[in-house]
Amino acid sequence: MNQLRDSTSASLRQGRRRLLLRRAAHALVVAALALAYLPAAAETEQIAEPPKALKQLSLEELFDLEVTSVSQKPEQVSKTAAAVHVVTADDLRQMGAVSIPEALRYIPGVEVARVDARAYAITARGFNGTVANKLLVLMDGRSVYTPLYSGVFWDVQDAFMEDIEQIEVIRGPGATVWGANAVNGVINIISKSAASTQGFLVTGGAGNRERGFGGARYGGTLGPKAFFRVYAKDYDRGPSLFPNGDDAGDASRMRQGGFRADWAPTPADGITAQGDLYGSSIDRRNGDPTELSGGNALVHWTKSFSEHSNLQMQAYYDRTKRDVPSVFGETLDSYDLTLGHRFAPAARHDVVWGLGYRLTSDDVRNSAALAFLPPRLTHRLYTGFVQDELTLSANRLFLTVGSKVEHNDYTGFEYQPGVRLAWTPTPAQTIWGAASRAVRAPSRIDRDLFAPSQPPYFLVGDSTFDSEVLMAFELGYKGQPTSEVTTSISTFYNTYDKLRSLEAGSLPLLLANGLEGRTYGVEAEAACQVVRMWRLSAGYTFLRLILDVDPTSTDTSQEKQEGDSPRHQAFLRSSLKLPHALTLDASARYVGRIPNQNVPGNTICDARLAWQPTKSAEIAVVGQGLFDSRHPEFGMPSTRREIGRSIYGKLSCWF
Amino acid sequence: MLVLARRVLVLALLVVLHPSTAFSAGAKSTHEYDLKATFLFHFAEFVEWPAETLPDKAPFTIGIIGNDPFGKSLDEIVANEVVDGHKLLVRRFQSVSQIDSCQILFIAPSEASRLDQLLSHLNRRSVLTVGDTRDFALRSGIIGFVISEKRLRLAVNLAAANAAKLTISSKLLRQSEIVGPAPVRE
Repeated sequence: MNQLRDSTSASLRQGRRRLLLRRAAHALVVAALALAYLPAAAETEQIAEPPKALKQLSLEELFDLEVTSVSQKPEQVSKTAAAVHVVTADDLRQMGAVSIPEALRYIPGVEVARVDARAYAITARGFNGTVANKLLVLMDGRSVYTPLYSGVFWDVQDAFMEDIEQIEVIRGPGATVWGANAVNGVINIISKSAASTQGFLVTGGAGNRERGFGGARYGGTLGPKAFFRVYAKDYDRGPSLFPNGDDAGDASRMRQGGFRADWAPTPADGITAQGDLYGSSIDRRNGDPTELSGGNALVHWTKSFSEHSNLQMQAYYDRTKRDVPSVFGETLDSYDLTLGHRFAPAARHDVVWGLGYRLTSDDVRNSAALAFLPPRLTHRLYTGFVQDELTLSANRLFLTVGSKVEHNDYTGFEYQPGVRLAWTPTPAQTIWGAASRAVRAPSRIDRDLFAPSQPPYFLVGDSTFDSEVLMAFELGYKGQPTSEVTTSISTFYNTYDKLRSLEAGSLPLLLANGLEGRTYGVEAEAACQVVRMWRLSAGYTFLRLILDVDPTSTDTSQEKQEGDSPRHQAFLRSSLKLPHALTLDASARYVGRIPNQNVPGNTICDARLAWQPTKSAEIAVVGQGLFDSRHPEFGMPSTRREIGRSIYGKLSCWF
Repeated sequence: MLVLARRVLVLALLVVLHPSTAFSAGAKSTHEYDLKATFLFHFAEFVEWPAETLPDKAPFTIGIIGNDPFGKSLDEIVANEVVDGHKLLVRRFQSVSQIDSCQILFIAPSEASRLDQLLSHLNRRSVLTVGDTRDFALRSGIIGFVISEKRLRLAVNLAAANAAKLTISSKLLRQSEIVGPAPVRE
């Protein structure tokens, strides 16, 4: 009898504990929801003229020759000692990417999961989530990271896609130069110069999911060495779907406009001014739409003294506003100043150093369910870095050493040193290795979170939450065996300390630095210009994430976090030029199972067929998620949204 | 699994079958960089350098900065050629500081990221800068190679040519697109 009572009370205790955990998980989800606003809370074989014979031809005859273009020839092998992938403007067009997150899908080592119609979970090398916090994202040097959770609100990061020159993705810590939050990777979105976007461009289209979108750009001159462009775009994006296929009620509309002006008053000076304004509204099933708005203005000045020496200064202001009626509101103002100087103090040395100051002023509107206390918070971040690239052997061996030092209001000084070595045994091969330390400084969700907003609290942030620390070791190879083939393999072993844990010992549940972990993985990619009209590229990612609970911690979230990233990912892309000015791009990607969320492994196929009947117009039909009417990418089964097959047509005219 | 295999197969077929039609057609064509090399040679004839920068009997240098895309073709074309009494030479440079004497400088695609810097340090030297990266002439290079409808075209920045005190023959200009600001005579 006693035994029975004991076991009953034990199971009751267990039941209560499970309930508590579920409620804690729920509270964290609510916080995540409110923040991210989830709905639930070759050359052709043709005879060519020998070069000498060409000399005999007249100018007119030369101008009339048809050329075999190698414009699609793969880039020279990068000598950078880092795992870098560049998404070019061509890639963006070929993918038919309508947004920045969609443009990041075919990059080894990067996880992109669409959570619903507007929210994405994006990370590099593990730790994915709707509030993923180990990736730094910059748009033309402007950080778009939110100090609320050290992550990115992807729903407001937009651009006129045709204005993007490239997206550079550096996996691994970029902390030495970029600073806090560049823990697992850095994404640099770089826009085209105003000089290269002259004239008119008008685009528009519609489809079943992309219900309507349009954009226009005009570029002109302001003087002999000054160019500008202005653009405006908008879209009406359809909702995601419930697993049963019903409309999940999260359709969105956005408008954005902006400008960029570039001026070179002297050959050694370049000044850029740019800015954007946006406003968006996202439907909610259980309340008024979420309203998002904001804008930014940036000035950048480069002065070059010699080929190896220049000075760069940049200042920007950014305001972003988020209003989820009766759940959460935030206005964030950021002011940022940076200075960078590059010079060669001695032969074989190439030194870059810089200073930075950022002020963020955050004003949160709390609700009964959760609060960030204090609601208003102003933080200052001071940064400095120095890095020397030392040529140990000309064109062969390069050593890069450097460190960033920063001071933030939470944890004071942080040091982030790194060392990288690149060896180019032949011009077409680079072998590189790196060891670096990076930190993720605390954010408001770690320190200031209270749920509910009044005591008795159920979940409380840790007012002494410390920085998460990464030690990363990387080894990679890049090679170009023939002029048509490029390959790269990157491997890494990361050890993390003081990761965020959820302490479930007693109420209120607490956040703490109670986890440590390690990840290792391999990322491989290859691209091949099979023949002049056909390019193939492929990638594979393997990732293993192991977390351990600190002996003093009562965390129980570790297993879940381990299961939030797929172990295998792979993709294949094909880009084919057909006769009659047609191009056909097709791609398939496999994303492995996400065990914690029961999201099955998925193969998703996209395709784009485009026809350019004249020099100044293009018509394209794009299909995404072609072979399934809908598929899940992320999220627990109970709150999951699925992504429907998207087919849209697009017309572009430039003149 | 079978369904997946079938889908992949369909996709593969789609991709593989189409090129057969694509690759059968096509006229006799010229390798892009052979043609560009030929133009570099002709520029020596169709552009005039200030006499003080090119003393009598001094060699006429065609330089390449960055990773040489021409292979042997430029050397073959230029071999044993003499223009106005100047023997033609091809030299390869890694940085601007190595450039002592050079009449034509081809800036290779590998240098795209530091094009502005390179150009600013050549500015006002009488060097004909030639390149094929995007907007080369718009970005103050003097002659940019542009491929349009499978033909090679030239984009010429006359203001930049004037600043470098170079005179480009009308024979060449007639076939070129003039870009950049209106030229200012100094």
